[in-house]
Amino acid sequence: MSSSNDAPLSPRSQLALSCFEELLDCAVADVASECHRIARLGLDRSVDAEEEELRVWAARAAAGGDHHHPGGGGPAEEGGGGGGSKGGVDVFGQTHPAIAADVIECMNCGRPVVAGRFAPHLEKCMGKGRKARTKITRSSTAGRTRSSNGIAASSYSPYSNAANTNRASVPNGVTDGGCGTGGDHSSHVL
Amino acid sequence: MSTPSAPPPCPHLAAHRLSSRPLRFVRRCLRVRPLGRPEIRRDPRELPRCSPCAAASPSPSPRLYACLSCAAVFCPSHAASHASASGGPGHQIAVDVDRAELFCASCGDQVYDPDFDHAVFLAQSSSLLTSTSSASPSPAPRKRRRVDYRAWAPDPAEFALMSSADPTTSSSAAAPAGLRGLNNLGNTCFMNSVLQALLHAPPLRNYFLGDRHNRFLCPRRTPVRHRAAEADAAKVACLACDLDEIYSAAFSGERMPYSPAKFLYSWWQHASNLASYEQQDAHEFFISILDHIHENIKDDQHKSHVQGHGDCCIAHRVFSGILRSDVTCTSCGFTSTTFEPCMDISLDLDVGDNSPFGVANTKPHARNGERGLAGMNSKVSTLMRCLERFTRAERLDAEQKFFCEHCDERQESLKQMSIRRLPLVSCFHIKRFEHSAVKKVSRKVDHCLQFPFSLDMAPYLSSSILRSRYGNRIFPAEASDADAVSELSSEFEIFAVITHSGKLEAGHYVTYLRLNNHWYKCDDAWVTRVEEHTVRTSQAYMLFYVQKTLYYKACERAAAV
Repeated sequence: MSSSNDAPLSPRSQLALSCFEELLDCAVADVASECHRIARLGLDRSVDAEEEELRVWAARAAAGGDHHHPGGGGPAEEGGGGGGSKGGVDVFGQTHPAIAADVIECMNCGRPVVAGRFAPHLEKCMGKGRKARTKITRSSTAGRTRSSNGIAASSYSPYSNAANTNRASVPNGVTDGGCGTGGDHSSHVL
Repeated sequence: MSTPSAPPPCPHLAAHRLSSRPLRFVRRCLRVRPLGRPEIRRDPRELPRCSPCAAASPSPSPRLYACLSCAAVFCPSHAASHASASGGPGHQIAVDVDRAELFCASCGDQVYDPDFDHAVFLAQSSSLLTSTSSASPSPAPRKRRRVDYRAWAPDPAEFALMSSADPTTSSSAAAPAGLRGLNNLGNTCFMNSVLQALLHAPPLRNYFLGDRHNRFLCPRRTPVRHRAAEADAAKVACLACDLDEIYSAAFSGERMPYSPAKFLYSWWQHASNLASYEQQDAHEFFISILDHIHENIKDDQHKSHVQGHGDCCIAHRVFSGILRSDVTCTSCGFTSTTFEPCMDISLDLDVGDNSPFGVANTKPHARNGERGLAGMNSKVSTLMRCLERFTRAERLDAEQKFFCEHCDERQESLKQMSIRRLPLVSCFHIKRFEHSAVKKVSRKVDHCLQFPFSLDMAPYLSSSILRSRYGNRIFPAEASDADAVSELSSEFEIFAVITHSGKLEAGHYVTYLRLNNHWYKCDDAWVTRVEEHTVRTSQAYMLFYVQKTLYYKACERAAAV
């Protein structure tokens, strides 16, 4: 609150200024006193640990950043070679197809189903899915891409329109219910 | 952050303690205002002034001390002269008039004394207006016979025996037990990621591998017939049994990826009946299955009354903690406290909002860390800062006025959360998905989050929060809030990170597991070993920490690769 003009302050302004300065000094002294107490009583050990963590984190992140793409993808890995789902082998030296080839016997109908397509099968089998019930929602999902690992997630249900109300009963992760959707948040109390 | 310990007194303070009246008598000179600092009592019209200063210039100095021996008031610059000029010893120790802190005029520094702090604490306690009303009945303090934790290390013979027999800590780092891929059954990566984290949560793993829930003997489980009617099947399927099967499969030694089809089927049988658990978010799924496991195997005698104690089922035993919520009236200081159990903690990601001063911020020391890393701080969010923000005192909106029983009207209030009891496994959920009901858009927050591998939760416990709310006074042990004494340690170690990559509508979940001090990436069926920096730079969505005493670190082992 430093006024830049050179004109002498009126008594009222001076009073206000000194009042402010006193309040400011008081606030600063409060903080200084609290910090002094915390430091003297040994309550601030976590600060050093936190600083150290941040430094280590920054250093390691920078070091690894050259050959790494943030956000998933296929980071360079040691001790096993190759990336994950993009090729190469896993930690046991195995490779896997994009769609799991394992054959499972459906618990509902007894038919053998390929693992990678088990969820969509089960959805229809149990009569839960949108597609099993109605075809209205087709158009609303047009244009959404779908990949085997990734997910065409439809938008969060509370904001969907009436045509999507059937989705409320779709349990999950099938067809348009992607495994990557964001859900609602709060500390869950059970 | 341990309990405050008094540093050794300076010679002047020590002399004062011996020669003068005990410091606890200062209590009658103290006055505590609601939400304010403890200060030296004075008449309403009395204005303390430094006598030497007043003679020199009329302006009052901001910081004043009162001598404990003669009650003379002076400012810091005249403190030393008062101490030496006044006759005899005992005039060295003064008290800060506005803050009730001791000051040694000879050392020229603030000093600390347990008896004085005790007096201040008592003054504060007697002026506190608190209620013990709780939304859920506060758990009665149980007199449990405490056993001190003693560390144990094997002797050479035991070490040799263990290394030869235990596959978990064998030197073959390529195959720690329980590491196995999970097939994606069709957009089920959200399920796989959570299952991987649960598979390696030490208390949960030990429970199932220790045969505490045997799927062949479970009374709720009967063979599911084909085409069973939904209603019947829902009563029959037991998620704990299916989880037991997954544990058996993962730890069987078989390395080909496993398909958790039966688990999916069982979960659908439960979840389809409850509209609120439909979202395909990993966190939602996590909460959902814990809830269903609780429903399946809860001990019916231990119903809702002891919820939060964790005796009802393994899910609560492992994940349930207790949160404390204090709402304080800003007008009279009346505080209403409630306790609620929680299975996880959802944290806001403070994106670039590193403004340190929330209302009633009593953690100024943490800001020291920020100044040292200037450029970095504005971009990086850290887990600890998120927790700090979670436990910060927040002023509630004017619309959400709290009805103060003491004032008998609605007042503006402060709300502060803290952790009364830590769970065995702490799950932190980072709110990366923002939904705006107004704009009807959702977006994902991609901001990177730094998280430590070792976490001390002590600063976020109710005991620490309460203590700092009342000025970090040195509490004598008996006087502190008996409820807040934590029975378990507050140190945690990370063991699993679930990350989300991609956009909100087209994304993928992956779990990173820490086993034998190596990190493994579990991307559905693909399990690969990764370096630390990969984990550090990933976008953490859910973080799983286990109590340090339950975490077996193999890093000290010479044989570890």
